[in-house]
Amino acid sequence: MPLSSVVGAQSIVRPGVCTSSTRPASPYDGQVIYMTDVDQTAVWDGSSWVVLAPIASGRNVVINGAMQVAQRGTSTAGITTFGYYTADRWYMNYTAMGTWTQSIESDAPTGSGFRKSLKVLCTTADASPAAGDFVGVEQRFEGQNLQQFLKGTPSAKQFALSFWVKSNVTGTYITEIPDQDNTRAVSASYTISASDTWEKKTVIFPADTTGAFDNDNGFSFLVRFTLGAGSTYTSGTLQTTWASTVSANRYVGQTNLASATNNYWQITGVQLEAGAVATPFEFEDYGTTLAKCQRYYWRAEGTESLSMHAFGYARSSTVAFFAVPNPVPMRTVASAVQFSNLQVGLRGVEGFTATSGSLVSTWRSTLVSNFEASVASGLTLYRPYHLINDTNAAGYLAFSAEL
Amino acid sequence: MFFFSDTEISGTTIRNILRRLPDGGVQSFPDVETNDGPERQAYLAWVAEGNTAEEWDPNG
Repeated sequence: MPLSSVVGAQSIVRPGVCTSSTRPASPYDGQVIYMTDVDQTAVWDGSSWVVLAPIASGRNVVINGAMQVAQRGTSTAGITTFGYYTADRWYMNYTAMGTWTQSIESDAPTGSGFRKSLKVLCTTADASPAAGDFVGVEQRFEGQNLQQFLKGTPSAKQFALSFWVKSNVTGTYITEIPDQDNTRAVSASYTISASDTWEKKTVIFPADTTGAFDNDNGFSFLVRFTLGAGSTYTSGTLQTTWASTVSANRYVGQTNLASATNNYWQITGVQLEAGAVATPFEFEDYGTTLAKCQRYYWRAEGTESLSMHAFGYARSSTVAFFAVPNPVPMRTVASAVQFSNLQVGLRGVEGFTATSGSLVSTWRSTLVSNFEASVASGLTLYRPYHLINDTNAAGYLAFSAEL
Repeated sequence: MFFFSDTEISGTTIRNILRRLPDGGVQSFPDVETNDGPERQAYLAWVAEGNTAEEWDPNG
């Protein structure tokens, strides 16, 4: 059928798509039309016009996939244990495999919209890892944020993972999505083809009709990018369908990024969504991402010496108590506190250097974290005090409720 | 390297575990069973390797 007889008076905006305030009299199967009268796009399915839904927001369950937020800092060297170091929500998992520097780089795929990336650099090699050695980068999730995957039901959805990656070491890398609630896992490989070149990767993990995620704030699931592993994890056959976790099948074929110093691996634009299709990355404003991160970790940095953090009172001559409101409700009550260069004082009147501090594990909530600062001596019992930076503007106070 | 410091709150003594951070700061958390945060998990892994925390010296 000639296009002109289908389109009629409508205007063509690109081949196969037209705009119209009326519907074509004789549409053909698969015809797509933008209906200007209702501001919707529809496709003719042979019997009726089916409105195409816009891509929904909130698809990406990964937090800080663009590596924009790094409250802890932008570089940490000498990493030889697991933990959170630079980019918020990104955990470095580690067992005795080399020494690493983690950093946030202003290096990202040209034209992608990304401006930052997370870099992991080997500074001490482990060319012959022991059986149980491991290194990788992962993000951990609460089960209540994953219910759209319908895991453990007959309607379970696939896991569509997409990301940009770059390394000087080409070869096979393994990504894995373990289900912590049901001790199940599935792995997939991807290939870094060209050295020192950003590559976009998409991995579609299968759906799992067994084992639902707990619908709570606990640690249910993670997305892991493996960078090296010993034979405990590589001696079997890669497990590419969901099954109970078998150590030997988890990272089979993984390239050893720790094979030499100065090897690096870089990542950005990480998105995980329900379904069989990886959609374009869901960019969000910095404030939104920051607030999501603060549910797990927040850090108040002074902008000058004597910057204010909290109000409290002395409960002895050496200890002052402070109730510190969290900027957003945290995942749980805080499990740890971090601080540096703090002072207990009456600003402009007196000040006592905080020699130690502790998280008070009573009288707290997800909205308020309690902190006690210890000083050498000199506080007046029940006198109100400020918790402030000392004369070093780099002072900070941070609370963690990380998974 | 981890350290410990005992704090008395309302008649109950709580053991806190501390360590120096790479940026010169200090990390502290209560060493209680209900604390399943990654900070305490790292500490327990360190203990499992045969290490023992020493008492915190604020000037150390």
